[in-house]
Amino acid sequence: MDLRKAKYFILFLLLLSEPLKASDEPTIDLYVDNLFKITEVMVTDVASPPAAARFYAYSTLAAHLAFEIVGGSDDKSKLFSKSSLSVDYSYELNNGIDPHFASVYAMLLVGKKIMPSGYLLDEVIHNLEKEYFKNKKLRKKGLAESKRLGQYAADQILLFAAKDKYAQLSTHTRYTPKKGEGHWYPTPPAYMAAVEPEWRTIQTFFIDDLQGYKPLPPANFSLEENSSFQKQLMEVYQVTSALTDEQKLIANFWDCNPFMVQYSGHMAIGIKKISPGGHWIGITGIAAQKATLSWSETLFIHALVSMGLHDAFISCWEEKYDSDRIRPESAINKYVDKSWKPLLQTPPFPEYTSGHSVISSASAVILTDYFGENFDFLDTSEVYFGLPERYFNSFQEAAEEAAISRLYGGIHFRDAIEEGVIQGKSIGEYILSLIKNAS
Amino acid sequence: MKFKLTILAFFLTTCTICIRGNAQEKGGKPKFESISHRKSGITFNNKLTEDRNNNILTYEYFYNGGGVAVGDFNNDGLEDVFFTGNMSENKLYLNLGDFKFKDITKSSGVGGKNSWTTGVSVADINGDGLLDIYVCYSGNGNLESRRNELYINQGNLTFIESAKTYGLDDPSNSTQALFFDFDNDGDLDLFLLNHHIEVINEIEFDEARGKRHPFAGDKLFRNDNGKFVDISEEAGIKGSSLGFGLGVTASDINGDGFIDLYVSNDYIEPDYLYINNGDGTFTDMLTEYLQHISHFSMGLDIADVNNDGLVDIFTLDMLPEDNKRQKLLYGPENYEQYALMVNRGFYHQNMRNMLHLNHGEGVFSEIGQLAGISNTDWSWSALLFDATNSGFKDLFVSNGYYRDYTNRDFLKYKGDYYFKSAVAGEKADTLHLVTSMSSTPIPNYFFENNGNLQFRDKSENWGFSQANFSSGAAYVDLDNDGNLDLIVSNINQPASIFRNTGNETKNFLKIQLKGEHENTAGIGSKVFVYTNSNLLYQEQMPIRGFQSSVSQTLHFGLGGSKIDSVKVVWPTGKVNLITSPEINTTLLLEESKGVFKNKIKEAKRKVFSTSEIEFHFRHEEYGFNDFKRQPLLLEMPSYIGPIMVAGDINGNGKEEIYIGGSKGYPGKLFEWKGGKWTPIESFLVDEEFTDSDAVFFDANGDGHLDLYISSGGYHDYLSTDESLQDRLYINDGNGNLTRQHGQLPRIRSSSSKVLVADFNGDGFPDLFVAGRIVPGRYPLSPKSYILINDGKGSFRDATKAYLPDDGVLGMITDAKGMDINKDGYPDLVLVGEYMPITFLINQNGQKFENQTTSILPNSPKGWWRKIESADFTNDGTLDLLVGNFGLNSQFSPNSKEPLTLYFGDFDENSSIDPILTSFIRGKAYPFPSRDELLDQMYSLRSKFTDYESYAIATIEKVLGRDAMKSASTLEVTELNTVFLEQVNGKFEIRELPVEAQFAPVNAIHVLDYDGDGNLDFLLAGNQSRIRLRLGVIDASLGQLFKGDGEGNFKYIPQIESGLNIKGDVKSILSLPSDPKSLYFGINHDQVKVLEFK
Repeated sequence: MDLRKAKYFILFLLLLSEPLKASDEPTIDLYVDNLFKITEVMVTDVASPPAAARFYAYSTLAAHLAFEIVGGSDDKSKLFSKSSLSVDYSYELNNGIDPHFASVYAMLLVGKKIMPSGYLLDEVIHNLEKEYFKNKKLRKKGLAESKRLGQYAADQILLFAAKDKYAQLSTHTRYTPKKGEGHWYPTPPAYMAAVEPEWRTIQTFFIDDLQGYKPLPPANFSLEENSSFQKQLMEVYQVTSALTDEQKLIANFWDCNPFMVQYSGHMAIGIKKISPGGHWIGITGIAAQKATLSWSETLFIHALVSMGLHDAFISCWEEKYDSDRIRPESAINKYVDKSWKPLLQTPPFPEYTSGHSVISSASAVILTDYFGENFDFLDTSEVYFGLPERYFNSFQEAAEEAAISRLYGGIHFRDAIEEGVIQGKSIGEYILSLIKNAS
Repeated sequence: MKFKLTILAFFLTTCTICIRGNAQEKGGKPKFESISHRKSGITFNNKLTEDRNNNILTYEYFYNGGGVAVGDFNNDGLEDVFFTGNMSENKLYLNLGDFKFKDITKSSGVGGKNSWTTGVSVADINGDGLLDIYVCYSGNGNLESRRNELYINQGNLTFIESAKTYGLDDPSNSTQALFFDFDNDGDLDLFLLNHHIEVINEIEFDEARGKRHPFAGDKLFRNDNGKFVDISEEAGIKGSSLGFGLGVTASDINGDGFIDLYVSNDYIEPDYLYINNGDGTFTDMLTEYLQHISHFSMGLDIADVNNDGLVDIFTLDMLPEDNKRQKLLYGPENYEQYALMVNRGFYHQNMRNMLHLNHGEGVFSEIGQLAGISNTDWSWSALLFDATNSGFKDLFVSNGYYRDYTNRDFLKYKGDYYFKSAVAGEKADTLHLVTSMSSTPIPNYFFENNGNLQFRDKSENWGFSQANFSSGAAYVDLDNDGNLDLIVSNINQPASIFRNTGNETKNFLKIQLKGEHENTAGIGSKVFVYTNSNLLYQEQMPIRGFQSSVSQTLHFGLGGSKIDSVKVVWPTGKVNLITSPEINTTLLLEESKGVFKNKIKEAKRKVFSTSEIEFHFRHEEYGFNDFKRQPLLLEMPSYIGPIMVAGDINGNGKEEIYIGGSKGYPGKLFEWKGGKWTPIESFLVDEEFTDSDAVFFDANGDGHLDLYISSGGYHDYLSTDESLQDRLYINDGNGNLTRQHGQLPRIRSSSSKVLVADFNGDGFPDLFVAGRIVPGRYPLSPKSYILINDGKGSFRDATKAYLPDDGVLGMITDAKGMDINKDGYPDLVLVGEYMPITFLINQNGQKFENQTTSILPNSPKGWWRKIESADFTNDGTLDLLVGNFGLNSQFSPNSKEPLTLYFGDFDENSSIDPILTSFIRGKAYPFPSRDELLDQMYSLRSKFTDYESYAIATIEKVLGRDAMKSASTLEVTELNTVFLEQVNGKFEIRELPVEAQFAPVNAIHVLDYDGDGNLDFLLAGNQSRIRLRLGVIDASLGQLFKGDGEGNFKYIPQIESGLNIKGDVKSILSLPSDPKSLYFGINHDQVKVLEFK
């Protein structure tokens, strides 16, 4: 349904018998913490990086939508009118709604529904209700009304999610490695199957035509001395052979590999981490808290960053399975040094372009526009996984470091990083142009 | 948490017990009586203590368990027992008779040292007539701690450790020592089986393979007058650190008089099959002898299981029998990884026990699944011995692993411990992680040999229902009552002593060997016992199973038969022959009384031999992986060729041959020219097609043979692909075939077969085209066609009028036209996947009626793939042979426990979801692994968030009530290839010899090879395009069955038939002008031509 054709039936907010007071407004920690509960489920399920972005987008959008409806918005954020989403705002608002509760509730409902282990959020939802009810933040009727709105917002988003072609992924013929040199092949140690080879078929939010954001093709596969590919191959080999402690730290900090397999004889253990998208959601929360954003602002920027992640991943994944390029690990083992091993475990999908480069620069463009050029922050996103915190002077600096970390980690060639950065940047800028210049 | 796990483990154990095997026979005692340690005095317990220095992370073979050895150390006629304790003292128990034992460890001085102790070997190493003990050490200690020990028997039940003196104090990480006389010089040499103690990363494989590792590589020592010299390198023994050796035994595998070795290796490194070259060197001939092997090979035994005088090889692996443990173990199938490993020389390895049946001359068929002994869980010792004195060797398997590391949930969720610790601000402790892993004890297996290459699980009946963790084992007649008893070492539990109650009251003969040189026990000798009904064969080789040493008194059960003679062939070549010995006693055979005999090798003439005719055509496949298109398929339907047909198209009296192509590789027409087969280059077919069948016939009645080619395949064809169109090539009268467009209707079925017959009785040949599959939409039934000829070679689609259900008859694989009711109109017999053998009777040329129920009541549904007709019973009516999938797989359905395929678009995403269920221990479970199913139906991801929940799920749980109701189903009740005898216009099913069930049958050729007037037949097939989990089925080498004219058939052993055709045979062709030459069409391989005289 096109938004322009949608009708808005918003009841006048003054009818609310218990108008919200500023002092009643909970801190945005409530939102950030509950969003992290969704992250935890993704980690448990080992959601792939593109799938994680999709989960973030729909959950944060539901929260944003619920809040907008209460605020009487007719999509002033433009997230709906400028994207492929269509939402029906015709919701009859009754008394007693708590918009904070409703938005967090909507977010958790979507998470519960679309993630495999979403049921794990039942307890989170239960705790949220209990907390509101026990502390008398909501009475019985208010709780019911807030839940009804949350459910409505969630349903609106899920309606769209059900039609985004995700369900059709399993109907495609599975990926088969191509014959010939220079193509991707599953990598050690687990030789996991290619992740989401058909992700390009998923509905984007903003990008109409993926071809418009297609990076330059990767350097031609050639082992000839001084060919671009050969030089880049040797660069990975040499850089990784002489890593400084700082470079190692950077590589590990931005690893964001949802599932690393460690073997010891018959014993294999999967070590899980947050996905690249999860890391940037973490940064968004940190920035929102540091800038003491309002609820409305917090919900908006999280949804926007998530939508950006989603489109950036689709664009990147289209290129990955189109160029289908070999990973440094396969190439170096085959042509240079058969016992070389990258610092990071090679993720199970083709190399070009670097996903982390694409999505980090897309996110940084969006965040910089929102929070400003020199917004410094202490990145604590990875502390949960036992990694240290890290300080950045700007989002741009963080994104650049994330990009180059893939070279240090030995899992990407330079052109996949540099072209990935350009690809992400143009996606971020395009999204901003739609949202900001909207009339 | 820990408490919860214990409860769970207990529950599992009890469950396993109540399901497994038959209930104990009422009233009767179990065949094996467990003697309590209080009664026997054997209190040995292989107790493991996990701590910071000793655990699975510091030494990965921490839970492999200990060994058992038996031997009469004081020559009092009672065999004594020795145990190795991994972390505890080794124990020697003196046999006092009547299952009473005395611990004489201290006085005998054999307690060993405080190092990680592994295998034990008992042998008279110095040739003084007293058995000595050699103990292996490993672990993560220093070099000195690992030096193996040799206890020389002093004759008074005391021993002196003398390893250094003999040069046997080797510091390798040893698993087992095997003493044998490899150079037939009369003394014992040593093969030392070792393993690596560090994890080898996948990328280090190639490098590790190229290097000899001083402590991990296996070693061969030659006995030079009492000094053992390491000759590994010069003898060709591989010494790479990749060889995680877990089992070794020696046997003259190729029967050339020199003893060979089989080494089973854990993990990626293939096993070694060392053939003794007779010149002091060995050559690993594994890939020449065996087509696929166990992956994580563990213990093993080599013995003759079918009494043909040839030793068979049985290796153990880790595949569980029950559904739950399988589901917890299986992850996604990884075709890329498998292909990579095969390409890198790691060969075809599959996780299950393998029984390699010896055909002689280095030719084997792997039939572990047909034999029913492929799934015994994480197994250690395999011992083949006659526990029932029946004359056939039964099989004992010890098993159990102390921690459930291979559980997929462990892989996926245990790692969460690390960040959970980080969140909780605690230091992660990996030791805690691994020692908190669940522990599932399981009962051992005992199988009775049924004598027909099949074994029956008797574990429960015979008293093996206790769940535990068992490792080394040895058989021995402890009380000299004429039955073999059994001793098993357990982890954290007293060793088990099983008394064979011998309630079968059958005869036996025990044989003791006395060598005349240092090899006093005659190790390596071959003993043949010829009875009036059987040939019983054993080799003197005490090292069998796992880390253990069995009795050196050979025990032959005789069943009810009488002995004609006993023959011993000593390693030195001497032979003793005893006729009509006394039975139920011990026979002493002395080498000194033997004589040297010249080996007379009678070269028996074989039925088939390679023909001089050359046919240069290699069938090629592009290499589509059909499982990528429909991930729940079991076999790849693309791989159907080559088909071959012959017809004399130019009328010169010699046939031309058309051999079919596959997508990308067009078929070719060959003519006989200048004494050889030459392709006719002017004949071109389109390369888009995959030829499923072809027929030469005169379509337009001009007296010249035309060619009809039916199109099949799966590949990347659309369900209505133009490349599924059949083709008609018309002969111009000069033997030139040209495709005629427009004479065939539009056909959009991927077909399997085309039949020519005058269905409507108008005198013109009509066609039946059998639909095989709908590409991408399996298992939907495609359409079959009846095409009626107008007499001029133009065909119209008359399917609607002629065939039931508008031709939607099932996934037909083959069809036969024959006039069953003798009314002059040809009828149709159809076979197919999930189809009953179907009889369509021609109603006076008007239409076909399905009369299966009256012609073959309860017609079995199979994965039928081939049908052939001939009069095998000489009664003037045609009988049928129908090729099926066979029994050499994980499936063995029947009408009570069918395979059921549930299908439909359950997740409503427009793709078909076909879910197979099969019965395991009396209950039907979905066949796909969790990962496979979740990849097909995303909606199930929330239903089965872990492996545990899926591991117990039935199809009802998977689909839910509504989907169950809407699901379509197909069934299989029979996988045997069968003979159908025609009796009074009906058919009766007759069984074929078990060999007919070795592999899927794709080709049948009827012949009378011996000219006795009774028809014989030849079966060929195999399937290598199959799910990794099922594994390549390659046991058929082309099999000849001799008919007696009455519908009985006898399998002709490969060594007599001379057939040794490897690969997936898809067709057999013979020419009317030269019926004694057979052309074998092999998928993705060269055509082979054999002849018989």
